[in-house]
Amino acid sequence: MDDEKIIRGLDGKITKRLFRYVKPYRGWFILAVAGLILATVGELITPVLLQRSIDRHILVSWSAFRENLLSETEPKIKQILEKSDSPPVNIGERIFVPSDALGIITGREKEELIDKGLLEETSWYVFSLGNSGIDFLSLSESYPGSFIGNKDYAALELGSLKNLSPEDLRQVRKGDFNGLMRYSIFYLLLLLEILIFSFLQVYIMAYISQGVMRDMRHELLEHTFSQSLSFLNSRPVGSLVTRVTSDVETVNELFTSVATSLLRDIFVMTGVIFVLFTLNVRLATITVITLPPVFILTWFFRSRAREAYRQVRLWVSKVNGFLSEHISGMEIIQMFSREKKISDDFYDKNKKLLKAELGEMYVFAAFRPLIDFFTSVSTGAIIYFGAQYFTNSTLSLGVLIAFVNLVGQFYRPVMDISEKFNIMQSAMAGSERVFDLLDSNSSIPDNGKINADNFRGEIEFRNVNFSYNPGEPVLKNLSFKLNPGETVAVVGYTGAGKTTIASLAARFWDTGSGNILIDGRDIREYSLDSLRKCIQTVQQEVFLFSGTLEENITLGKKLSREELEKAAEAVQADRFISTLPDGFSSVVKEGGANFSAGQRQLISFARIIAHDPKVVILDEATASVDTETEKLIQLALSQILKERTSLVIAHRLSTIRHADRILVLNDGNLVEEGSHDKLMDLKGAYFNLYQLQYEKNGAN
Amino acid sequence: MIKEYKTLYPYVKKYFISYLFGLFFLVITDGGQLVIPQMIRKAVDMIASGVFDLNRVGTLMLAMIGVAAAIAFGRFGWRFFIQGSSRRIENELRENLFQHLLKLSSTYFNNMKTGDIMSRFTNDMHNIRMATGMALVAFVDGVFMTLVILIILFKQYPSLAGFTIMPLPVVFLIVLGAGRLMGPRFQKVQDSYGHISDEAQETLSGIRVIKTFVREKHFLTRFASANEEYLKSNLALVKIWGFLFPVITFLSGLTTLLLLWFGGSQVMGGTLSPGDFVAVLSYLGMLIWPMIGAGFTINLLNRGAASLNRINQVLNEVPDITSLPGADGLIHPGELEVKNLTYSFPDGGGPALADISFKVLQGQTLGILGETGSGKSTLLRLLPRLLDVPEGTVFYGGRDIREYTLPALRGMMASVPQNTFLFSDTVKANIAFGTGETHAPHDPHFKQNEQDALGTSDVLLKEMAHLSTIDRDLSSFPEGWNTTVGEKGVTLSGGQKQRISISRALASAPEVLIFDDALSAVDTETEEKILNNLIALRSGKTNIIVSHRVSTLMKADLVLVLKKGRIAQKGSPEELLKEDGIFRRVYNLQQICRHGDCPEDNDG
Repeated sequence: MDDEKIIRGLDGKITKRLFRYVKPYRGWFILAVAGLILATVGELITPVLLQRSIDRHILVSWSAFRENLLSETEPKIKQILEKSDSPPVNIGERIFVPSDALGIITGREKEELIDKGLLEETSWYVFSLGNSGIDFLSLSESYPGSFIGNKDYAALELGSLKNLSPEDLRQVRKGDFNGLMRYSIFYLLLLLEILIFSFLQVYIMAYISQGVMRDMRHELLEHTFSQSLSFLNSRPVGSLVTRVTSDVETVNELFTSVATSLLRDIFVMTGVIFVLFTLNVRLATITVITLPPVFILTWFFRSRAREAYRQVRLWVSKVNGFLSEHISGMEIIQMFSREKKISDDFYDKNKKLLKAELGEMYVFAAFRPLIDFFTSVSTGAIIYFGAQYFTNSTLSLGVLIAFVNLVGQFYRPVMDISEKFNIMQSAMAGSERVFDLLDSNSSIPDNGKINADNFRGEIEFRNVNFSYNPGEPVLKNLSFKLNPGETVAVVGYTGAGKTTIASLAARFWDTGSGNILIDGRDIREYSLDSLRKCIQTVQQEVFLFSGTLEENITLGKKLSREELEKAAEAVQADRFISTLPDGFSSVVKEGGANFSAGQRQLISFARIIAHDPKVVILDEATASVDTETEKLIQLALSQILKERTSLVIAHRLSTIRHADRILVLNDGNLVEEGSHDKLMDLKGAYFNLYQLQYEKNGAN
Repeated sequence: MIKEYKTLYPYVKKYFISYLFGLFFLVITDGGQLVIPQMIRKAVDMIASGVFDLNRVGTLMLAMIGVAAAIAFGRFGWRFFIQGSSRRIENELRENLFQHLLKLSSTYFNNMKTGDIMSRFTNDMHNIRMATGMALVAFVDGVFMTLVILIILFKQYPSLAGFTIMPLPVVFLIVLGAGRLMGPRFQKVQDSYGHISDEAQETLSGIRVIKTFVREKHFLTRFASANEEYLKSNLALVKIWGFLFPVITFLSGLTTLLLLWFGGSQVMGGTLSPGDFVAVLSYLGMLIWPMIGAGFTINLLNRGAASLNRINQVLNEVPDITSLPGADGLIHPGELEVKNLTYSFPDGGGPALADISFKVLQGQTLGILGETGSGKSTLLRLLPRLLDVPEGTVFYGGRDIREYTLPALRGMMASVPQNTFLFSDTVKANIAFGTGETHAPHDPHFKQNEQDALGTSDVLLKEMAHLSTIDRDLSSFPEGWNTTVGEKGVTLSGGQKQRISISRALASAPEVLIFDDALSAVDTETEEKILNNLIALRSGKTNIIVSHRVSTLMKADLVLVLKKGRIAQKGSPEELLKEDGIFRRVYNLQQICRHGDCPEDNDG
């Protein structure tokens, strides 16, 4: 459809411009980002919470320092005691700290401490007596030698826990059960928090992006409306419609899929890395070392996917274009018996589409499994090295589990980002096309201040030159004058520049050189709106909008029922309208297909009466209509031309004969001017034209 | 639902082996995925025990990476086979659908909008692809994984499984329900998108009228309301859509929470090992997707069935106009005779044509005059059997036209329809369309052959371009002869289009040429030129010309005046002029001004 420009990644300029549209929704945007951050933070906290409940309550392990040997020269131990999340517990000559507090020292340092006898090799379980309401004495009696304790805390070796009876175990670990309960409740709250904020974020973001699209569409159409006809005529309507619809739609993708998930993905990835490093620096480093292959793969995949995706889009649009065109033209294909050839053409295109689709499929089919594979490699590495650290107690099991969990969370965005890349590209390309149209500036300058309301109806062309394409003049030094109330017919061969006169008088184009004077003043001194309200044109080909008949006459102008009926009556349109079951409310189908050519002309005449301009410029239709309608049209014409300054680009003899004056145009020049009889007597251009175009039809 | 899928049976059969391979790889993948948590469990338990050989953990992890490699291979395998097959099926279905459309008659296309047919090629094809690819995978994957995981969970951890999987069926139900809720909302979004597009198309096509009457504001307001409606329908969809994934995340979090509580208690109570705890955590994570998948599968299959149904509607449409058995492929030029032809459209209403009889000798020109809706176009479309004629009513060369094959019958006719349709190809390719030598010049595939045929055909085509006088416009096109027409190339005026369409009809040198009001958009002078060219070229061949202009009809040997589907007058133009009737009235109306008496003064 459109040439796709290759835009590599995020284009700063386009992004900046897009964000200008977000401005009106600033408050909402901040809210959405806040929601996003809150939801993501929640998601990052959940594995940590899991880790904490495992390490603090489910799989608790304490390490014991020998207090009596503790020397001030061991800053490492001091550090451990200070940094420990829960306060160290003193029982007898031992100081207990949760084992995960030892994560900050290396295995070797730990071994050194053990060698020096500062640290015990055995793991302990420590519990508070106050919380569990346990009778320490009876416990000591039941399991002699297992327990040590003071008035607040008790401890036993981890390995002895399994010797306790279930009831005693429950008692001993009551604090842990309560703690687990607290964590579970906290976990639930966190899940709810994530639920609420994710939904809010998605919904608000959708609201913003829909709002931005609506505003863009509106601005785009408004801007397009203001462009000159020369600009609009140079572009196929279809491509303008594409700007307003699908190109703007890609902006939506940019907001909902790309911006949101990109933000989220980046957030999650950095968040995961951050959490990994807070949990355990060394294991985090090892995890990060396993990442480069993934980034290389992603980078490689990105370029492949881009090309594959472009091919698919190209062939999808070719195949669909081919289909829609040939379905519309099916009767022509069948009439000329070209089914075989068309079918062969389609086969070719369809197969090429398949090839492109399979090509894309291969790329994706290889990428996703590979990313999954790398997740497993990272997991394997984490467990292997984690095991190593665990043996020397520099890592707890909970942290290891959290790592395995978090790595999974890290890889998911990797897959996402690379797949979102295609969307981002087409969104950028789409936005660029939208902005290109918004940047086009070919509107007719509207600097006039004079209001044309009191205009008498005098129009003069003075030495007007005009060309649509440079070097191909359409009007050459044309001068003529229309007096108020006069009806003037313009005749001439095709291509003589007749239709151009109408466009210039309503200022759809500006003259090349020379002036058009309205009541003696230059046309550019009038404001465009007021000028066009006074000088209106009727085109050869009548355009009807889908909607009601009434709307097609009023075009949205507020008219009373009476005025509407009058307008229809004046141009004889009331006759056919009254035969319609719904009268003025009858529905006009797309392109006015449910009305005949003649009826369409009458409707366009009714428009003129309804809008009542001072000057009417009428391009008579050449299309032949049936006799009855032709009669009605002629009657209607006389109504329209009555009491208005009118310029008629004439194709009907009757119109020419009724005109006050006739202008004969040839090759952009005014060659003759005068009444019919006078011009016939001249035996010049008009005479010849008349002979050829009108008179000979009568010769048998 | 199963009934609709029968259409796919031959396709699935063709790719049966591929699907089998795909399923094999899928099972490898799933099996591998199930083993991995077991390996992690083992590793974690080893580690938790505190006494282990680091090398054993290393070996275990290497084994796990090996399994992961097998999974990756399996994943690629099933995508390759299953997605590949579903793409191929979609492609072939599209091919067959178009082939079938080529056989359907105008009656069908008159009742169907192009957009409606197109949506079958785009939306419906997409749905079918999803149903034959993704849905199948999700189904097998879902059933297999769910069953195996449940078996493992209940066998190894019976006390834990029951509690923790509770939220999962809810995930399934929510996905299923959301699909149902989203369907109509999604439809609404698409409809309102279409509405925006229509509004933009309309206002931009009619921009000149809007500017003429300074009604920009009104039409902007009209557009704004369509725009607003689109926004609202989108937000209505997001309300469901935006909730779906957060809810799924919530429910899957809930399973972890349940595990944390129940599993955690069991670990503390010593009845569950830490490794088991981690394994269950992995398994629960793996159950989420099959639950989502199962919900989606059902939605995808439903949507696929609805789409297949819409495609079946087209495929089941029996071509109503075909060459009859034993039809003759050879036609000898002769006279065209219509006997007592009465025709009604299949969708009811009274007869569009009644009691039509006339005879045109070979080499004669038939003129037809009639108001809009008098049945002219219907008559013209019956002759090449674009609409089907009743038996024994239309004869050519002395035989019922139904006794000829369609290609033969249509091959000896060519028409210039009232509404010009050109393909977005070059001017040249459009003119050559009916000659059998058409091919896009820019298509490298054909370059070679083109060189040979070019010599003769080019001269002929240029001649045809001259006859319709389009040749004089060619110089103003950017690439002349090879300029692409339509949206992608130059925009042609109505007259230019008509003249190319005339050249196209002439280029196939038809025995019978049909002109359906085909000069309406050209001026009188050009019309005159074209008609003169035409008559000189076509001596000895038959022409049928519909026109509103008496001057054109005066060149005919026989003129029919149609009124409300019946022949009101029939005879040579000279005879008709003598009769008091429509023909003379129209003649007078178009001529009278010469004598100074204009129509509005004439009571006709």
